[in-house]
Amino acid sequence: MAFKDVMQDIEGYRDIAGDIAVLKRYGMDHTCERGRVAQLIGLYHPASIALVVSELIEETASTRTIRLVPREGYLPPFQAGQYINVAVEVQGVRTSRPYSISSSPGQRDFYDITVRRTAEGFVSRYLLDELTVGEALTSSAPAGTFHHNPLFHGDDLVFLAGGSGITPFMSMIREATDRNLPRRLHLIYGCDSPDDVIFRPELAERSRRHPQFSWDLVVSSPPPGYAGRTGFITAALLREVLGDLGGRMFYLCGPEAMYAFCGRELAALKVPRKRLRVEMYGPPKDVTQQPGWPREVPAGAVFQVSVRGRGTVAAQAAEPLMIALERAGITVPALCRSGECSLCRTRLLSGRVYQPEGVRLRRSDRTSGYIHACMAYPLEDLEILL
Amino acid sequence: MSDYEVVIIGAGNGGLTAAVTLARAGRRVLLLERHNVPGGCATSFVRGRFEFEVALHQLSGMGTADRPGPLRAILSEMGITERLEFVEMRNLYRVLFPGSYDITLQADRQLVIAELKARFPREAEAVGRFFELLYAFSQQMIQGLFFRDPQISRDKYPLYFTYALRNTQDVLDEFFEDPLLKAILGIYWSYVGVPPSALPFGEYAIMLFAYIEFKPYHIRGGSQALSNALIDEYLLHGGQVRFNCGAGRIVLEGGRVQGVITEDGESIRCENVISNASTLTTYLELIEPGQVPSEALKQYRSATIGPSAVTLYTGLDCDPAALGIRETTNFIATTLNMDEAFARWKTMEPQGVGLLTCYDVDDPGFSPPGTCQVAIVCLQYADPWYAIPPHRYAEAKYRYAQGLLDLAEKAFPGFKDHIEELEVATPLTHLRYLGHPGGAIYGFDQYAKDSALFQDHRSGIGGLYHTGSWVGSGGFQPTLTSGRQAARAVLKSLKAQQGG
Repeated sequence: MAFKDVMQDIEGYRDIAGDIAVLKRYGMDHTCERGRVAQLIGLYHPASIALVVSELIEETASTRTIRLVPREGYLPPFQAGQYINVAVEVQGVRTSRPYSISSSPGQRDFYDITVRRTAEGFVSRYLLDELTVGEALTSSAPAGTFHHNPLFHGDDLVFLAGGSGITPFMSMIREATDRNLPRRLHLIYGCDSPDDVIFRPELAERSRRHPQFSWDLVVSSPPPGYAGRTGFITAALLREVLGDLGGRMFYLCGPEAMYAFCGRELAALKVPRKRLRVEMYGPPKDVTQQPGWPREVPAGAVFQVSVRGRGTVAAQAAEPLMIALERAGITVPALCRSGECSLCRTRLLSGRVYQPEGVRLRRSDRTSGYIHACMAYPLEDLEILL
Repeated sequence: MSDYEVVIIGAGNGGLTAAVTLARAGRRVLLLERHNVPGGCATSFVRGRFEFEVALHQLSGMGTADRPGPLRAILSEMGITERLEFVEMRNLYRVLFPGSYDITLQADRQLVIAELKARFPREAEAVGRFFELLYAFSQQMIQGLFFRDPQISRDKYPLYFTYALRNTQDVLDEFFEDPLLKAILGIYWSYVGVPPSALPFGEYAIMLFAYIEFKPYHIRGGSQALSNALIDEYLLHGGQVRFNCGAGRIVLEGGRVQGVITEDGESIRCENVISNASTLTTYLELIEPGQVPSEALKQYRSATIGPSAVTLYTGLDCDPAALGIRETTNFIATTLNMDEAFARWKTMEPQGVGLLTCYDVDDPGFSPPGTCQVAIVCLQYADPWYAIPPHRYAEAKYRYAQGLLDLAEKAFPGFKDHIEELEVATPLTHLRYLGHPGGAIYGFDQYAKDSALFQDHRSGIGGLYHTGSWVGSGGFQPTLTSGRQAARAVLKSLKAQQGG
């Protein structure tokens, strides 16, 4: 007897075979699954979102809010604090930048992003000076982990914001106050000058109307005669403003310098690591000042990066590899552009790169030669595989 | 002239072992992967100072270098065992009924028996007989079925022919009185996805036997290290891979594979495709509806889409010992009624049984010093998640996750106070990353009718082969094995063509 026929002697075999015969006729018609996975993914995490600028709102002399509405009717939900990566073409270069959504997730007619002009801002200059109402933009779906997680954050939250780092907090504040969520929020907002304070009237209004939200402004370069708090967000200030720190969750978002500074101040207050959430902030301003940067490689050194099957690209030591590739017309998948999300994970076939400490490489990626192109800096000629 | 001899769609466990097998055989192979990272479920992600293992809990079938199990043999054949470090787990599992019962079973036949006899003295004799059966049965299954004994018969393998298709609960009831003992012995059901009342004894017995004999393992660096090692080996042998490049269509002509069109619209000519996409995805999305043979989908009518999972990836700022976590694998149960616990997988109600894995117990370097990571898992079907409107998803996710967190807190008081990172994956998360209907992590439900005894997963299309959990059972060992099988089938057909 053939193997298969012998198997029919297993106790219960014939009953099951009978069931199967019935099910083949009357069982599941899986054709109803056609398209369903793609449809569900589209509701939450579409590969990209087609957007139109519906409004430009001037917030301060250097900051504007760009209101984005969908070209096709649907914006996926997000958690307050998350960002979208906005793709743009500036001077013929296709690139992208992540921006926190500043509007509340309580409404999804639009996503607001709030952009401040920066001295070297290649993209922010475009968004502030050239973008017009009605223009089309493309973004990623909302992403990021800088949001409230009720499973362990608790409901007593302290937001430490610096400059345009207010944007994710604005979304969280708007959501919590609009929905009257059972959370206590205290914002400590550090700005260079009183003129730089974004959302000032709204913050004042929300704190007046909603007892669960309060805020303090700290100005580091006050004009003569300024009456408010001045200086930086120090341990002494935190202690004075907050009183008891127990059970609070701190969130930090601001310019690069603020992270090291506030990190030290919070450590002095013995705030444990688990009570601090830190938003990423993109590549460092000057990578050659990062710990471990090889002194012998000058910032301006230029290397050849050979991209297998795509040609060779010139890349500067002090510039993220991803930027050099984009300038050469090679777009690498990108999302956070801060070394975290790993979407730009790229195989390094030969050559050395520098990756700052914050880059979140998997252990086995490090040993198998993968890099995160958004935060990898060439130290010699490279060969990569995309 | 074709561009490649074989195109593989998807770099999951099956796609990867297929790719390595074919590349090592000198074939021209292209591996397409939608995602930017290989591995499918066999991957990891980083949050804060933790790298979270996504899917691997207990690697089965490894054995030792001296006495290799079937999986170690395959991984050696792939040339990757030297590149990986395998960590043996000391124990099978600990079962906790918080506040009432706590037992640990070691991965050793005599010690398991001794422990169960000591804890259930009134059933000591039955414990002995049960393990006699478990071992004798498993040996018959291996000799008769796995080694394909041509003289197989009911007379030669009476235990196999009697017990293989009986349900596990029946057999446990036959031997034991105490429902607690039965729950402890049958607890792996919550890990494999079918309740004891429907789990074929053959599947159950061989799993318990294999975990005791070959020991459960973990991979240093997690399952991503395995996926990376497979890709390295593949590239070393001249394999081509494209990440961020999904397959859009499998091109057929006259019922035979002629090529693949990528999502970006590029045409690649090839006469063989191994699809590591789910079989449903392959037939419903990758092949032009008019070209799908009617038999192809009909064969799946008797199958139902299996469970997905909810996992809490948790980074703690303390050593496992500080919380009393002293085993890698812990099942936490609040009910003895496993059918009811299973029924809850189709609802949003709190979980009856959860699995809590702490990798740092057996691999203390897995997380940074003074920390550890814990994955808390409960399988669950996607259906209730489909009914949640997207804007309520985050809220529902946290509410459901709270149930698992409460289980962990009950078993290990103080757990919640040590959380430094916590990310939740739901069936919709799995659906997004795997692209599988239902976010199913093990393919179709694996009832007796779905086993290889009854189902033939060869495709009816010339040149099309399947690999992965949808053509067998789920989990690492089966999917890694299935890739090699698919590759061997392709090699056989290529040899036949080129020979003739």
